[in-house]
Amino acid sequence: MSDHIVRAYDKELDLLGRKIAEMGGIAEKMLADAMDALIDFDADLARKTVLVDARLDLLQREIEENAIMTIARRQPMAVDLRDIVAAIRISADLERVGDLAKNIAKRAIIIAAEARVPRAIIGLKSMHESAALSLKDVLDAYAHRDVERARSVWTRDAELDALEDSVFRDLLTFMMEDPRNISFCTHLLFCSKNIERIGDHATNIAETVVYLVTGEALPMDRPKGRSFSSESLSI
Amino acid sequence: MTSSNGTEPGSLPTKITVKDLRFFYGDSLALKTINLSIYANKVTALIGPSGCGKSTLLRVMNRMYDLYPRQRAEGEVLLDGENILTPGQDLNLLRARVGMVFQKPTPFPMSIYDNIAFGIKLYHKVSKSELDGRVETALRGAALWGEVKEKLQDSGLSLSGGQQQRLCIARTVAIQPEVILFDEPCSALDPISTAKVEELIDELTEKYTIAIVTHSMQQAARVSSYTAFMYLGELIEFGKTQTMFTAPENRQTQDYITGRFG
Repeated sequence: MSDHIVRAYDKELDLLGRKIAEMGGIAEKMLADAMDALIDFDADLARKTVLVDARLDLLQREIEENAIMTIARRQPMAVDLRDIVAAIRISADLERVGDLAKNIAKRAIIIAAEARVPRAIIGLKSMHESAALSLKDVLDAYAHRDVERARSVWTRDAELDALEDSVFRDLLTFMMEDPRNISFCTHLLFCSKNIERIGDHATNIAETVVYLVTGEALPMDRPKGRSFSSESLSI
Repeated sequence: MTSSNGTEPGSLPTKITVKDLRFFYGDSLALKTINLSIYANKVTALIGPSGCGKSTLLRVMNRMYDLYPRQRAEGEVLLDGENILTPGQDLNLLRARVGMVFQKPTPFPMSIYDNIAFGIKLYHKVSKSELDGRVETALRGAALWGEVKEKLQDSGLSLSGGQQQRLCIARTVAIQPEVILFDEPCSALDPISTAKVEELIDELTEKYTIAIVTHSMQQAARVSSYTAFMYLGELIEFGKTQTMFTAPENRQTQDYITGRFG
């Protein structure tokens, strides 16, 4: 893309892109650390992870303010307009990813004190791998304006939904085996829901990337991979 | 030419059809085979950098160029299916059907009332009371009545720039044209006057077909339903305004509207 006649405009857009990249990096790291803390019952790491979220919130606010100023100053059109709308949307998604990772970290602090059935966490590991890969891919897709990669993330989310389904069954089994596992497993259940939601945010970002590059929206219905619908399940 | 998604060719009634239009200033070719439809009761914006031919194209639509020697047009411009470029055209009638508002307000050096009445008397035989009515209707149509009704005998030149421009629009509306051509109507106006003219353009689409040349991309985005982007005498892209300003198909269109060249 060639440069604007007004160079300050390019700088404003570059800055938005760089801040999104920084948010992406922080969100990825938070998710990885929260999961490590959960798996290793590492309360210290979990506490540190909780603190990082403030930086993500601050960045999101900055992106929003910068975007609004650019709209007011430049009256962006076409690809520039889509660029700015994308930055606002993606920063909101990444901020939520941070919140969800923070929630996992908080639960990691609680269950580290009472580590009951470590094998119950295994299913969450594969969920995490899938979500982390989606997050990484979608951030790369954003950085390189890569529609195909974004589409693949969008399609792949069904896999994470299916994994969540199987984790749900496993955790139910552990709880039925021994009621003393209920508290521990319930925390894990919330963690699995958090990871599934992180996948949804990656999917949202994928949709935004497609819109950013092509100006077109993806269909409203995304392929689903679960045997139950989340609506019928109040968890 | 690129045609953006959703142009829906043929699905809307067309008021003016430009077919293979070439235009010459002396030996220099200013319009290179333009094909374009101006849809009835819609606002079509013509945008592009200076010298791209957008004002030339506008001036062909009511043969304003005929006033100048060594300017000629080839091809067809069909107004309701009839080619207005043929030699036998009654140009006065054509310009009554296709009115024009210019960049700088051009009120006649006469009273506000006479500015409007002048054109009406030129084309129609009307009684004094009917004339009064037509003047009032025109001034109301141009959203100026409230501001001038107490001083109709004051000179048109005593009005502010924005009011003068609306007076010119009233003058155009008064002779009940079918099409109104606007050539950068707001470039000499302050933002408030601009907003009033834009509001007026919006209301005028109920009765008239409108083509507007503007250098303000935001104005084109605000007032028009269709936008044509021209560059170096060619029509580069034509489509729905919504598509043109959010996701244009053509690279040159995108570069121009985002301020990457011009």
